[in-house]
Amino acid sequence: MAESKEEVDVLVQRVVKDISSAFKRHPNIDEIGLIQCPEARYNRSPIVLVENKLGVESWCIKFLLPYVHNKLLLYRQRKHWLDREALVDITCTLLLLNPDFTTAWNVRKELLQCGALNPERDLYLSKLALTKFPKSPETWIHRRWVLQHILDQFSSVAQTTEQPVESEHPDAERTLLLSNHLNRLIHQEMKVCSDAACRYPSNYNAWSHRIWVLQHMAKGNIKVFHDELSSVHPWVSMHVSDHSGFHYRQFLLKELITELSRSSSSASTIFGSSQHWTSTVPSSSHLANGERSLAYSPSGERFATVLQLFYQETELCSDLIETFPGHETLWSHRRHVYYLWHQWTQDQHPCGDGRESELNLLGTNDPGDTRPTCAIHEGNVDRQRHVSVPMEVDGVSLPDCDSKRLRRGILLPNHLTLQNEHIFVNSILDSCCNPEQKNFALAYKKWLDTVISAQS
Amino acid sequence: MSAQLKDVIIKPDAPSSLLLDKHADYIAAYGSKKDDYEYTLSEYLRMSGIYWGLTVMDLMDQLQRMNRQEIIDFIKACQHECGGISASIGHDPHLLYTLSAVQILCLYDSVDAIDVDKVVDYVKGLQQEDGSFAGDKWGEIDTRFSFCAVATLALLGKMDTINVGKAVEFVLSCMNFDGGFGCRPGSESHAGQIYCCTGFLSLTGQLHQLNADLLGWWLCERQLPSGGLNGRPEKLPDVCYSWWVLASLKIIGRIHWIDKDKLRRFILACQDEETGGFADRPGDMVDPFHTLFGVAGLSLLGDEQIKAVNPVLCMPEDVLQRVGLRPDLLS
Repeated sequence: MAESKEEVDVLVQRVVKDISSAFKRHPNIDEIGLIQCPEARYNRSPIVLVENKLGVESWCIKFLLPYVHNKLLLYRQRKHWLDREALVDITCTLLLLNPDFTTAWNVRKELLQCGALNPERDLYLSKLALTKFPKSPETWIHRRWVLQHILDQFSSVAQTTEQPVESEHPDAERTLLLSNHLNRLIHQEMKVCSDAACRYPSNYNAWSHRIWVLQHMAKGNIKVFHDELSSVHPWVSMHVSDHSGFHYRQFLLKELITELSRSSSSASTIFGSSQHWTSTVPSSSHLANGERSLAYSPSGERFATVLQLFYQETELCSDLIETFPGHETLWSHRRHVYYLWHQWTQDQHPCGDGRESELNLLGTNDPGDTRPTCAIHEGNVDRQRHVSVPMEVDGVSLPDCDSKRLRRGILLPNHLTLQNEHIFVNSILDSCCNPEQKNFALAYKKWLDTVISAQS
Repeated sequence: MSAQLKDVIIKPDAPSSLLLDKHADYIAAYGSKKDDYEYTLSEYLRMSGIYWGLTVMDLMDQLQRMNRQEIIDFIKACQHECGGISASIGHDPHLLYTLSAVQILCLYDSVDAIDVDKVVDYVKGLQQEDGSFAGDKWGEIDTRFSFCAVATLALLGKMDTINVGKAVEFVLSCMNFDGGFGCRPGSESHAGQIYCCTGFLSLTGQLHQLNADLLGWWLCERQLPSGGLNGRPEKLPDVCYSWWVLASLKIIGRIHWIDKDKLRRFILACQDEETGGFADRPGDMVDPFHTLFGVAGLSLLGDEQIKAVNPVLCMPEDVLQRVGLRPDLLS
């Protein structure tokens, strides 16, 4: 056991070196952890590697952390010189032990800026830190900075390709490479977020990072949003208490609906308009068929897709509420989905906002006739009244041809009338003996009666 | 299958009266008995740690027990060339710690100890085109930083140096359908972010932009049968969220919508009778952070043994009177 300052110095330097050489020899380390071990074992390094897991024996932490911490701070105050390699090693050890040490991440940002560090290496280091500290805000912040740094590099590459050059072919290739790289990055981020979400429930930082990634790296990309909605479906069904996971679905739903409700020209971009380099992406030819058909479909198809999204989300929500009674998260999700639906149907009403062409498809009724709140206020929730109008959704109904086609091929959100929401709540109240479920159902009912009614 | 409600059970022998002397002793001793390792782990937020400790001491009328000169010298040493202030010496400057430092200096009526003009320039320089604020020069955006920016400037009487209209526009773009706010546009509502955003709107005189009834509804739904408040649906109750939710309710004039007696009972149960201090939940380890928010929460609930606390800045009201700052509250 090290006692004197000199002995501690020697020990710690050896451990920092052991960690750095472990990464060099084993580039596939995928998890870090602490091994509870109060005493040092004679002549053995406290760094243990089993398969792809890197463990640090706990006895050495109390020497290791203060040492690397103080060393970096002395460097920051220009009282102690460290070369780039030493800085990389020290910050690596430091951040794996204490990933919220902002200044250490900042030192790495500077190394990245001057080209002394590859951004991929920091995506890797921060991913590892998140295996042990899945919430660490500073780690997520650093990750966003690295991603933005990479996007900026893409942007400058794309700008150079926009310059007139002799052959167009290499440009197209380079653009394809860029877009493949971007897709790989997005995929990797989603995986990192999923892992962190599994390690810590309702992980706000992980889920808001996931939203950031879509907003900055896949803006307007309907395919990515659709894939995300499908990929988190099983996850949320297994994590019915995870409000952040459900909020993510709400975000996806809202973005998809906004995107699908836009005019067809703007809905067809592969990458976001905010990423100007993406304007050089040649065409959708290399994309999956699903996206093409969505992006270029006539507005009727897109409209049907919106209806289907609402239908599927409501079905999911009903199933989960019935299967897992008493979860506030699920009832909160229901509010949000219904709210989105309510907003969307209200947006479909003609208000002289240039949406007439879409509204022709809807065959709008006089909204005054079927104000859902009237039925509720009269206490007259009459399901029969709506049988003859299968597509009626809060005062909006589809023309026959569409509804026939939709009934054939696509399921309809005919559950999403205010009346049917009340029927759903009443059926829960009638059949359920779980007091929490009852309270949540009553609160939802009250929410429909006040918040939604006030906006109708 | 039935869900187990996420809440705590308060044991009959849990503390039920306020142990002020114990808390003052706990904070006064904090820091002196910490080993290298513990100190190192939390040094990245030292300035906020000092703000928590000093504020709770002042609320208990015990500020004189802390080493005023040492703390002021420390803050001076943490101001950087750019004007920003860091968590500790050798760390990088950040808006979070700039606000904490200014709050501490207000407690000590010593704002002039630092270069105020440079602080103002620093804050101003972090505002982005869309009105948002970056936390530091590396550009992370968060509604928390919008709050830090306007709170710092309000305490320094320099709000007019930034584009307030744009700043308000950005914060409002983070409002959600439930009346709450998240860290960025599209992010989930979160009690901590809601506190920052309602505080921001109070300091900028824009509380009328809130849907107070809707937000109040969401905030009240944070109260669990134990009386404690959580920060999001299906999270455990926590003393710090109890403060953020309670303070937000106070700001929007809806504090009477929750069961105050039950909340008081929950907060008191989070005290440690032996060591002093408050934990996040009954029986957990205490820390200065939860100790401040426990005591501040009890103050908002009307405990007369504690000084009145301002819900927007989490500082004693008498300090704000001296500064001449009266943030708006809805009635």
